[in-house]
Amino acid sequence: MSEPPEPGASSDREASLAEVHHALADLRREIEVRFGSQAQAGGVAGDWMRLFDELRRRLSTLGMVERSGEVDEFGMDEVVLRRARPLLDFLLERYWRVDLQGLGNLPVGGGCLLVANRSGILPYDGLMISHAVAGWHPTGMRPRFLVADWLITLPFAQPYLARLGGVRACRENAQRLLRGGNWVVAFPEGQQGAAKVFRERYRLKRFGRGGAIRVALETGVPLVPVGVVGAEEAHPVLFKLGAPARALGLPFLPVTPTFPWLGPLGLLPLPSKWVIRFGEPLGIDRLVPDDARDELLVSRLTEELRGAIQKLVDDGLHARPSIWG
Amino acid sequence: MGGSIAITGLRTFVGRRLAERLTLRQPAPRVLGLDRHRPHHFAGGNRFQRVDLTQPTADSRLAEIFEKERVEVVVHAAFRRDPAPDLGYDHELETIGSLHVMHACAAAKVRRLVLASSTMLYGPRPTNPNFLGEDHPLRGHPGAHNVENRREAEALLADWAVRHPDTEVTVLRPCWIMGPTCWDHVVRYFARPVVPTLLGHDPLLQFVHEEDCVRAFERAALEPHPGVFNVVGRGVLPLSTILRLAGKRSLPLPASLLYRLRYYPSQGQTGDPPDGFYDYLRYLWVADGERGWREFGEPLYSTKEAWIAFVSSRRMRRYR
Repeated sequence: MSEPPEPGASSDREASLAEVHHALADLRREIEVRFGSQAQAGGVAGDWMRLFDELRRRLSTLGMVERSGEVDEFGMDEVVLRRARPLLDFLLERYWRVDLQGLGNLPVGGGCLLVANRSGILPYDGLMISHAVAGWHPTGMRPRFLVADWLITLPFAQPYLARLGGVRACRENAQRLLRGGNWVVAFPEGQQGAAKVFRERYRLKRFGRGGAIRVALETGVPLVPVGVVGAEEAHPVLFKLGAPARALGLPFLPVTPTFPWLGPLGLLPLPSKWVIRFGEPLGIDRLVPDDARDELLVSRLTEELRGAIQKLVDDGLHARPSIWG
Repeated sequence: MGGSIAITGLRTFVGRRLAERLTLRQPAPRVLGLDRHRPHHFAGGNRFQRVDLTQPTADSRLAEIFEKERVEVVVHAAFRRDPAPDLGYDHELETIGSLHVMHACAAAKVRRLVLASSTMLYGPRPTNPNFLGEDHPLRGHPGAHNVENRREAEALLADWAVRHPDTEVTVLRPCWIMGPTCWDHVVRYFARPVVPTLLGHDPLLQFVHEEDCVRAFERAALEPHPGVFNVVGRGVLPLSTILRLAGKRSLPLPASLLYRLRYYPSQGQTGDPPDGFYDYLRYLWVADGERGWREFGEPLYSTKEAWIAFVSSRRMRRYR
């Protein structure tokens, strides 16, 4: 083990700050040692210790207020979100002209699990649901959207997804978020849903293994089905390539009318007209957390949920005049 | 308390700071330091015994010392925080050495055994949830031999604890320790003026301040806290923010290049391939500290404050 290096040349101000910092730390330790047990319990010594801690904290963060650089525990960054707002607003209002229906079905307090149909490779749908709810729902709650493993660890995508509110899709994360009173957008179709080719569009795939239902039962939050119409035409996948995708570490490589023919330009989604419909919450409020262990009940509820979302999607498809709205 | 507290690995960070802290208490418990060599600075009034854990007879020697000194609590901290190129020696010291300590504890009927582990043992994986609880399986990293050794030691201890229910076993898993006096290969990485990072990856990291870490060890040594606890600070920060707070430059390199470098820009010779360290800067391995906070009290420093305490003590800070 090597010794710490000599501190390099630095300004006097920083040096004196560090000295004060150390002196306070020593004083604090002295107090803690002298009044060890009392300090734990509280009392005058405890107050002094808290004062020292506070002083020291203030001292060490002096002048760094503007560089707060805070993220929440799942990595969402308010500053990045604020900066991305104009772009997200543009996508929501101008590019896809998103129509929001049934916002009144969302609860006003507490956690909530939104379950939607997955479409497209990049999680535009999750991002748009999240941004739309944050902007238009009276509570101003920003739901966190769950993202598949391969995407959340993809180089370059990972830092931005986490900052914009994406969270790796797994049970532990969803439970923690919902218990903390957050809203979560889940896509139980998973990768199967993202990989749908154009002729299979809007036919919902199997819903995983009932994870969404289980999480909602265990945490006791309402479950709201969400149908997204239009997102599946934003990236129409004609067919999928296997071998080159494996070389790149992707689950599949989509071929769309524009990608890869136009290169990076082909990554741009098409400006289809989107409709996001929030349905009635699923009737699970009478069930208890223990019901999550009842496999038959879970699979029946999963099927019911899938039916509800399929119906929302079908209604939306019938109501729209064309893809471009 | 009548018996004394034995600390193996007195020259490691945890061992040294814990011995100092215990000596400052009033009344001070009797502290017995054990290491391969006598440390340069050693608080007066404490006793010291030379023990080499890699010797085949280390267990009987330890048992003898424990009996003679009436040791009631053993804090086992003899783990390298700096990987060394000698993989065989490290395995002898960390895994087999831990086994020797366990055998000696059983023979001397030690009342409590505290193990200094690490949250690095969970391993960085793309499939990790954002917060790893104490019950999450330890998956380690095949490229980090010290992590693998300690994982093996912890598995051995879990078996041993079942067979010796009379001994209270506490396992403390601190994450990366930051502070004015802690110095190891992780700190050395962060102390570089230009920090190599992985292009396109910006994971969330967490730190624990050295004082919070040592305080948890002190309480675990003095009071019964059986079980496994993560010892971490509150909050997480992305790597890029951490570097920006210190005014450091990062050198983003593609993983494919960084992982192929023979002499990679890391900590010199460690005997490990680059991914043994850089995967910890690529994937998530943040631990959930809730259980530890409930047991050992609210930490004084958050992740960010621990980092700033380290940065200001090294006088690296550029932003005022």
